[in-house]
Amino acid sequence: MDGDDSKETPGHRALQDEAVAWLVRRDSGEWTQAAQARLDAWLATSTAHRVAFLRVEAGWEGAARLKALGAGHSPGSVPPLGAWGQSPFFEPSPRSSGSIQTRAVERIPRRPWFAMAAAVVLALGAAAYFHRGEPGDRYNTPIGGVAVVPLQDGSNITLSTRTEVRVELNAKERRIELDRGEAFFQVAKDPTRPFVVRAGDKRIVAVGTQFSVRRTGDDVRVVVTEGTVRFETVALTAGSVARAREQDLLVQREPLPVAEQILSWRQGYLTFHDTPLGEALSEFNRYNAHQVNAADPQTAAIQISGMFRPTHYEAFVRLVQDGYGLKARTSADTTVLSRE
Amino acid sequence: MADSNESLDTWFKREIVAHEGALERYLLRAWPNPHDVLDLRQDIYVRVYEAAAKARPYAPKSFLFTTARHLLADRLRRKRIVSIDAVGDPDALNVLVEDLSPEHRTAAHQELRHLAEALDALPPQCRNAVWLRRVDEIPQKEVARLLGVTPKRVEKHLRKGILRLTAALFGSQDPRAVPRLETQHEEHDEGEDGHGRG
Repeated sequence: MDGDDSKETPGHRALQDEAVAWLVRRDSGEWTQAAQARLDAWLATSTAHRVAFLRVEAGWEGAARLKALGAGHSPGSVPPLGAWGQSPFFEPSPRSSGSIQTRAVERIPRRPWFAMAAAVVLALGAAAYFHRGEPGDRYNTPIGGVAVVPLQDGSNITLSTRTEVRVELNAKERRIELDRGEAFFQVAKDPTRPFVVRAGDKRIVAVGTQFSVRRTGDDVRVVVTEGTVRFETVALTAGSVARAREQDLLVQREPLPVAEQILSWRQGYLTFHDTPLGEALSEFNRYNAHQVNAADPQTAAIQISGMFRPTHYEAFVRLVQDGYGLKARTSADTTVLSRE
Repeated sequence: MADSNESLDTWFKREIVAHEGALERYLLRAWPNPHDVLDLRQDIYVRVYEAAAKARPYAPKSFLFTTARHLLADRLRRKRIVSIDAVGDPDALNVLVEDLSPEHRTAAHQELRHLAEALDALPPQCRNAVWLRRVDEIPQKEVARLLGVTPKRVEKHLRKGILRLTAALFGSQDPRAVPRLETQHEEHDEGEDGHGRG
C-alpha cells in the first residue's frame, strides 16, 4: 500500500505470518495457560490481529475437508500425488488445468470402475476394495466414501458411505445383494433379464429405472426416482418412498424433487427439510467415525433445514450451536449436543 | 478464547471469511492496483469485525460488500492522486452483491478439488506434514518423528501449508489475481526456507 495507508495496518503479509505462527504453536501439543494468555493478549492488541488469526484458523479448520480424500487409507501414510484424480468427489471440470488431473489421467486405465478402485487401492496401500469371486463381484466403500460402479450391462451403481454390495450378472437375471449401507441403481433396460436387488429377505425388482435401496439392519428403504420397481409385491412408481420393517411396509408418495433430495448424497450433500435433529445426526453418523448425538429428546426434536457436507460434521455442529444456542461437549470420538 | 468473543469469531469465520474469493474478485475489479488487494481485504475485515462486535449485521454478505464499497470510496477521496478514471471498473462499485459470485456457491467437490490441488502443489515434506497432522490428526511431535525432522521443522511446514490451503479454500480463483499473488507467496516462502528456523 502507499505510505498514507500504512498506519492502518502493519501490512497483510507480516500479520498473516504472525497469525499462522500462533495457530501452529497452539496446535503443537505443548500449549500452556501462559501461552494462551500471550495469544489472548496478542489477539486483543488490535482487531487486525484477531481477523488475521480467524482467517487462518478458518482455513485450517476448512482444510479438514481433505479427510474426505483420506477415508479408508491407513493413518500415518500419505497418499501419492494425484491419487484422488478420479475420486467421485471430483466431477470432470473444463477449468481444471491442475497437475493432478493430468497425472491421474495418465495413470488411470479406461474403465472407470477400475480407475476408482485403483485410486482407492493406492490410498489404502494393500487393502482390498474390489474382490472378484463367488458369489459374484463384491464392492464396498469405507466410511465417508462414495463410489460409482458401472456394470457390464450398462447399469450403474452408486455406493454411499460404508456400503457393501455383491453383483452377479447371468443370462436370466441381474442380481445384486445389498449386504450393508445404501446404493442407488441406474438400471439399463433389458426386459429379458430383470434387475433384482436383495436386501436381507426383501426383494426389489426393476427392468429399466432408477432407484435406491438402503439397508439398516433388517430395515429397508426404497426411493424411486424414475420408472417403476416392484418392492416385494407392491409396485412403486417414481416419487415413492417405501420403508419396510419385518412384515410392515409403508409407502409415501412424494413430489419427485423431494425424492431426489433424499438421494442428494450422490452429489456429496445431505439435504434436510424440517428434519428432526436426531434424524439428521444419524445421517451424519453414517459418514463419520466420530459420532454426534443429541443429549435428550427435546434436543433431538429440533427441526433443521439445509444442505450439508456429510463428512464435515464439525461445521454442522458449529452451525447448530450458533443457530440454536446448543452446547457441544466433544471427546475423542463423540460429540453430545444439548440445550445448556 | 472461552469469552463472549467466541460466537462472534465463529460467526465471522462462517459468514465473512467464507466470501473471501468473491470479495477479492470484487476488489480486483473495483480497485486499480491489484497489489493493494490483500491489504484492502484485511482492512475490510477489521471494519466488519468491529461493526459486528457492536451489532451483528442481519445480512452478513451484503454488509461485507457495503463495507468494502465504503472503504474504497474513503480511500479514493483521501488519495487525490487517484482520479476516478484510474479506477479499474467504476461500475463494479455498484454491482449487485449476488451478481458478484454466481460461482461462489461452489459445490463441495470443487472446494475439495482446490484443496487437493493446493495440497499437491506443496513441497513434498510440507505436504506430508499437512496430511499427517490435518487428515490423520497425528500430533505435531509424532509427525516430526515419522518424517524424521525436528518439531520446529514441522511447525514451519504447517505454517506454509496452512497459508496455502487457506488461500485455496477461500481465496480468489481469478486467473488475473492468482499468478501475481502466488509469485509473492513464492518469493516470501522461499526466502523463509533459506533462513529456516528449524
